[in-house]
Amino acid sequence: MAAVLVGSAIVLSAQQGGRAGGPPAPPPTPQDGAPIDLTGYWVSVVTEDWRWRMVTPPKGDFASVPLNPEGTKVANAWDPATDGSCLAYGAAGVMREPTRVHITWENPQTLKVETDSGVQTRRFVFGTPQPPAQRSLQGYSAAEWEIAGAGGRGAPAGPRRGNLKITTTMMSGGWLRKNGVPYSENATLTEYYDRFPAPNKEEWFVVTTIVSDPKYLNTDFVTSTHFKKEADGAKWAPKPCKS
Amino acid sequence: MTRDFQQIVVCALLVIGVASPAAAQVDLSGMWAPIFHEDQVERIPGPDVGDYAGLPINDAMRMRADSWDASLLTLPEHQCKPHPSTYGFRGVGNLRITTQVDDKTQAIIKLHTHIQWQEQRRDIWMDGRPHPPDYAAHTWQGFSTGTWEGNVLVVKTTHLKAGWIRRNGLLITDQATMTERFIRHGNYLTHIYVIEDPNYLTEPLIKTNGFQLTPNPNMQPYPCYPTVEVPREKGEVPHHLPGENPFLGEFAKKHNLPQNGVRGGAETALPEFMSGSGTRDPGPANRNATARTSNTGSRTPDPGPRDNEVHSLHVQGNVWLLHSAGVNAAVQIGDEGVLVVDTMTTGLGEKVVAEIKKLAGDKPIRWIVNTQVDSDHTGGNAKVAEAGESIIAGNFAGQAGQASANFAKVLTHENVEARLVKVQPALPQQALPTDTFFTDEFEIHFNGEAVQFIHVPNGHSDGDVMVFFRKSDVLVAGDVFNTNTFPVIDMEEGGSINGIVKSLNQILDITVPEDKQEGGTYVIPGHGRLTDEADVVEYRDMMTIIRDRVQNAIDKGMTLEQVKAARLVRDYEGRYGAARGAATADGFVEAAYRSLKK
Repeated sequence: MAAVLVGSAIVLSAQQGGRAGGPPAPPPTPQDGAPIDLTGYWVSVVTEDWRWRMVTPPKGDFASVPLNPEGTKVANAWDPATDGSCLAYGAAGVMREPTRVHITWENPQTLKVETDSGVQTRRFVFGTPQPPAQRSLQGYSAAEWEIAGAGGRGAPAGPRRGNLKITTTMMSGGWLRKNGVPYSENATLTEYYDRFPAPNKEEWFVVTTIVSDPKYLNTDFVTSTHFKKEADGAKWAPKPCKS
Repeated sequence: MTRDFQQIVVCALLVIGVASPAAAQVDLSGMWAPIFHEDQVERIPGPDVGDYAGLPINDAMRMRADSWDASLLTLPEHQCKPHPSTYGFRGVGNLRITTQVDDKTQAIIKLHTHIQWQEQRRDIWMDGRPHPPDYAAHTWQGFSTGTWEGNVLVVKTTHLKAGWIRRNGLLITDQATMTERFIRHGNYLTHIYVIEDPNYLTEPLIKTNGFQLTPNPNMQPYPCYPTVEVPREKGEVPHHLPGENPFLGEFAKKHNLPQNGVRGGAETALPEFMSGSGTRDPGPANRNATARTSNTGSRTPDPGPRDNEVHSLHVQGNVWLLHSAGVNAAVQIGDEGVLVVDTMTTGLGEKVVAEIKKLAGDKPIRWIVNTQVDSDHTGGNAKVAEAGESIIAGNFAGQAGQASANFAKVLTHENVEARLVKVQPALPQQALPTDTFFTDEFEIHFNGEAVQFIHVPNGHSDGDVMVFFRKSDVLVAGDVFNTNTFPVIDMEEGGSINGIVKSLNQILDITVPEDKQEGGTYVIPGHGRLTDEADVVEYRDMMTIIRDRVQNAIDKGMTLEQVKAARLVRDYEGRYGAARGAATADGFVEAAYRSLKK
C-alpha cells in the first residue's frame, strides 16, 4: 500500500507542470514549433577530410568510405572527365561539399536549403510524408523536430531545445565524393541537425549524416559536418554543377 | 487516519517536496566504437608531415610543427604520453562511458570516460564543483565539468597539458581550453569539440567525431614502460632547424595539393579558398618572411588570482605550494616544524607567515631555504625568520648568540649568501643566511623525510638551489624552471642557456612519473603553476631547440641583431615571451646568444 501511494505521489508531482493551464497546446505549424532556428546563411568550415573535400581526389581514392566490392568497382570506374558533375551534389553528398547554405522557411511546413556550391535546393517537408513518384537527385526529405526532455525531476523549466531529423528517400543516386564514390538509388539518408553556440559566441550547426546503402556500402557511412553562421549572404557565390 | 497511513503520507510529501537532483537527459553510458569515416588516414595510420590543411593555425604553431621531428617520440620521456582529451576522441580504441552517482541522493557525481589507447581516463564532473585555481597542475585530460542543455551534454575543460591536435607536430599550448558537446541520436553519438588556444590558433578549432554503440565490451589494459630506443647524448632533443626540414613539401607533392593549402590557416577551411577568391597564403618559402610584428609578450603572464594575496595548494605528502601572482614558494610541514622554501617579496612576507600559520598552526618555522638571491624569492626572509625559532646550542650559540634562537635558520648556497650580504640597503640580520653549503649537494632529514639541496650552477645564476623532498616526492626548482615566461638568464651572476638546459635535464633525472607520463614527482617552478615531469619535458625541449637554433645561427656567423631579426623563438614567444624585462623574446634571445658566444 505504501509503495502505491508514494508512487502515485511522484506521478502526480511529475504532472504538476500541466495543472495550471493544462498541457500546452501544440504549436500551430512546424515553423512555430521549431526548437532551434536554422534559418540564415551558413558556411561549411572544412577542418576535416580536407583533401577529399576541397579538391577532387584521384580516381580510386575512397579512404574512409566503407564501400563494398560493388561500390569499389563503381568507384574505380569513375571517369575524371566528369569531375564537377551534379552527381556530387545529391542529397547524400552535398552537405559535405565546401559550400554555403541558405536556409529559409519556404512555407510553414517546409524548410528550404539552398547551396551555392552546385546550386542545389533541398526541401525538408514536415507533416505526413507524401513522397513523389519520381526519384530525383535530392530525393524526398521528411522532417521532424525531436524535442529534448523537459529536464530531470525537479529541474527548473528551461528553454525549449531539440534538433531536426531528416529522412531522405527516393534519391536517384549520386556520389559521396567528387571522384565518383557512389551511393545508389536504394540509399536512405538520415540526418540530424543540431545548433549550438561556440564559446566565442559564434553560432554553428552540425549535421550528422548517416547514409545506408546496401548496394554499395558495407555498413552505414556516418559523417558529421559543421557550418558557421554568417551575418548575411555577402559571400554567397553560386557555382553551378555540370548536369 | 491511521498511524501507518500518516507515515506513508509523510514519506510521500517528502518525496514531492524535495527537489530531486537533475538527472541525465539521455543515457550516454556504454561502450562506444569510434567511426573512422572522417579523416581515417590521419587518425589510424597517422598524418603526413607538413599536413596542416584546414586548421586555423598561426605562424607560431606552423613554425613549431615545421621543426617537429618524429624521432622525438623515441625519447623515453615522450614514449608513454597519452593523447590529450583534445585529440584522444579521434584516436583508436573503444570509448567506455560510465556514470557515478551518489547512492543516497542519486545525483550524478561524474561521468567517466576511458579510451583504450594509453588508457586515457577522464572524469567529467557533474556536481557543480568549480575548476581548480590557475596555479594547480595540468593533466593530459584536463579538468572537465559538465552540464546538460536539453539532451546535449556540454563539457568545459581547462588545465590541459600541451598536446596534439594532429599527430604531426601540431600542438596546442597548456593555455588552451576546450568545449565539447556529446549528442546521442539513437545508437550514434556525435562528439563536437571546440578548442581555443590564445597562442597557436587564430580562431576556435571545431571538429566532430562519430561513435556507434557497440555490444563488444572489449577493453584491454594498456601498460607502458619507457625504454631507450635510440642511444643518444644526454639531453639531445630531435628537431629540425628552421628552413631545414626536408619533408615538408612531400605531402602536397604526393597528393597534388596546393602547397599554400596544406600549410593551413583559417582561410584554407573556407569554400572560397579553392575557388581562388580567398586570401591565398604566401606559401612555405615565404612564410618566414612575414613582416615582423611587435612582440606583445605572453598573453597570460601569470596564473591568477592576481589579488596580491598568498594562496596555498597541497601538492602531496608534507608539501604545500604557496602562490602569489608572479612568484612561488613552498612549505614542508611535519612534527618537527616547518621548512619554507623561498619567502616571496618583502611586501608579501607577512602574508606568507599568515598562510603558513593557517596550514601549520603553532608548529614552529625552523628553516628557510633560499633557492637564489632575487628579492622576489628572498624579500620575505626577515618576516618569516622572525615568525620562526631555532634549536641552537654549542658553538653556534656561542657565535651567533642565544637570541638567534628566536628566528628561523636561513640556508642557501654560499654564492647566494655572498650576494645577499651585499644587498643595499643592507638586509636585517635575520634575513641573512645562517647556514650555507658550497658542495654540489647538501642534505638534512626533517619531518620524517630526506631533504636534498642541490646546487644547479650557471643556469639562472651561479647559486641556484633546488630542494627535493624525497618522501613527499616534490621538487622545488627555483628559477631554472618557470612556466610563465622564458627563463631569466642573469649573465652578470653566472647564468647561461647551457646551464638552464643542464638544470632542466637534472630535474628530469630526479622526476619519475606515476603512469602515462603524468603525476608521480611534482615540480614547483620558481614562477607559474604546479607541474610534473611532462611539463618540464615541454620546457626542456623548448630550451634545447632554441639553444640549438641560436648556436646554429652563431655558427653561420650571424650577428645578434640578425638573430633577433630572424625571430628564432617565434613559435614560443606568444606563450613564454614576457611583456617586459629580461624574459621578453628579444631579452631571452640576447642572453642566449651572448652566453653561447662566451
